[in-house]
Amino acid sequence: MDTSNSQKAQLAALSAPSVIFTVVMIAFPFCYTIWISFQAVSATGMMRFDGVANYVRMVKDGQFWNGLWITIYLYVLSLTLQLVCGTALALLLFRARRLPGFIRSLFISPFMLPPVVAGMMWLIILDPSLGAANYILTSLGLPPSNWLASPALVVPTLALIDTWQWTPYVALIVLGGLQSLPPSVYEAAEIDGASRTKTLFRITLPLLLPTLVTAMVLRSVDLLRFFDLIYITTQGGPANASTTLNIYGFRMGFEFFQFGYAGALMITLSALVLGVVLALNRLRNAVAW
Amino acid sequence: MASIRIRNLVKRFGNVTVIPDLSLDIPDHEFVVLVGPSGCGKSTLLRILAGLESVNEGDVYIGEERVNTVPAAKRDIAMVFQDYALYPHMTVRQNMAFALEMRGMSKAEIEERVQKAAKLLHIDGLLDRRPKALSGGQRQRVAMGRAIVRDPKVFLFDEPLSNLDAKLRAQVRAEIKALSQQLRTTMVFVTHDQIEAMTMADRIVVMQSGVIQQVGSPEEVYEKPANMFVAGFIGSPSMNFIPARMTDGEICLEDGVSFPAERLFPVRSQAIEAGQPLTLGVRPEHFLFAPDDPAAFKAQVSLVEPLGSDTLVHFTAGGIDAVARVSPDLRPKPGDVLPLIPAPNKVHLFMPETGEAIC
Repeated sequence: MDTSNSQKAQLAALSAPSVIFTVVMIAFPFCYTIWISFQAVSATGMMRFDGVANYVRMVKDGQFWNGLWITIYLYVLSLTLQLVCGTALALLLFRARRLPGFIRSLFISPFMLPPVVAGMMWLIILDPSLGAANYILTSLGLPPSNWLASPALVVPTLALIDTWQWTPYVALIVLGGLQSLPPSVYEAAEIDGASRTKTLFRITLPLLLPTLVTAMVLRSVDLLRFFDLIYITTQGGPANASTTLNIYGFRMGFEFFQFGYAGALMITLSALVLGVVLALNRLRNAVAW
Repeated sequence: MASIRIRNLVKRFGNVTVIPDLSLDIPDHEFVVLVGPSGCGKSTLLRILAGLESVNEGDVYIGEERVNTVPAAKRDIAMVFQDYALYPHMTVRQNMAFALEMRGMSKAEIEERVQKAAKLLHIDGLLDRRPKALSGGQRQRVAMGRAIVRDPKVFLFDEPLSNLDAKLRAQVRAEIKALSQQLRTTMVFVTHDQIEAMTMADRIVVMQSGVIQQVGSPEEVYEKPANMFVAGFIGSPSMNFIPARMTDGEICLEDGVSFPAERLFPVRSQAIEAGQPLTLGVRPEHFLFAPDDPAAFKAQVSLVEPLGSDTLVHFTAGGIDAVARVSPDLRPKPGDVLPLIPAPNKVHLFMPETGEAIC
């Protein structure tokens, strides 16, 4: 009996730091945000219970729906581009196994840059009058573009920048998946008479699906909370054309000090992230082999 | 269906020569087992036949066609891999149909072939399952089914039983043998298990270090091993090797124990010169319990392994450690002394320097 109690005490002592960390750093802020989303908070910090008023306001708020649309548009576009380019890059690196190490490192270096640095770099490249992007376009006889200053182009441009930065990350995950595929399956396919294209589409990609879904989960969490790159490059503009739900919530909280409403927006965004992750987990189970 | 001819085959991996110079003929319809220890080049040879490895020198023919540069897909061979190599994301039906789809066969014909092969292998109830939902034995059958549907010229098996437990291995072994008799297709089977080789093969090819040591029927390689390697590799437990010398019509062991040579091998003893050093080879099952024979030697039992049907007795005699297979009725115990004598005409003689058998 004593031994059992002493073991329990030991277990409690050993797990206490991680439990305390989880409660203080994760559970408390999350619960506090849920609580605040049901409050009316004045600019002076006075709070009173306001029921679901913030959520009702959200449903009626055109800016919320705009932010949700931009969040999903940016998410779908970026994720698609990153999966396609990441898989292609991984297949290239997998086939070019003799490629010198520093060239391989060069391919995968962008995601090591802090988003702020990447954002500043692309701001300079995409500058409408002085940037290299328009210089290249005009050199080729093409009309210059407004890139981040155009409401129609801003989301695709942000998606391209994010794809440039995060494709190598996806490629690394896919490369790990490729390296773990059983070689004898490829030999069987060779004997079965599958061409390279047939092998890619009938064997490699289906076998990579669980890995691709893992990459989707990891990128989805980041992409749905897309913030830093937008904040550095456009601050949500032009004309709210790149105001994602995260940017909108930030503005409501820290520019307009409507913390209750900002809390409701953030809880909604969290629910969206959670829903997507749960759906992807189900997908991962469905495609597991 | 086709014969296989291999002429002066050389295979190197970098600076390492795995197969130095190998020639072999496998007639049509024959079930040939390549057997040897790990690293002897048997799997490499099989992969060369499959087209999964290139040839450095020499020629490989399947039927009348030289296939050195023919890709695997065009050789009309089917291979069963050690790990089965089933497509894990496909159902059993899709696995079996894949090669036929790649050939552009019609759906109706694919389904007919799949059903026929599935019935033959008793997997027709598993067609909609994925490999992860199958047992080891079922996966093995699916791998064979995938090979059978193609109706290939040659079947290649790369240690397909090594992942099965002992009981299932014996069952599948019998099934493959029955299948080979039913299909009458040329089959090349690689294994390191001499029991698989003995039980399934029409002919056994024993290999060591990329060199064929002996080619023959299971009876031939067991009864007339070409050298000490074959003699030691085929048979379980291994043949006992005993250093000896021929003197005045007697075979003398190192510690003075001797047997009349003519009694052990009346014909062959005439070819042996007096004083010639020899290595005697005696299989455990060829020691006879001979309490009334004055020529029997005294075997000091050191270890007993009862197998049920018979008993393995480890003993010391003539300065060597050896194993004898005796009747379980003897019920020997460690420390007992058993009078044993090698069975007449069952003793093998080898040259100690070369290991070659003396005819």
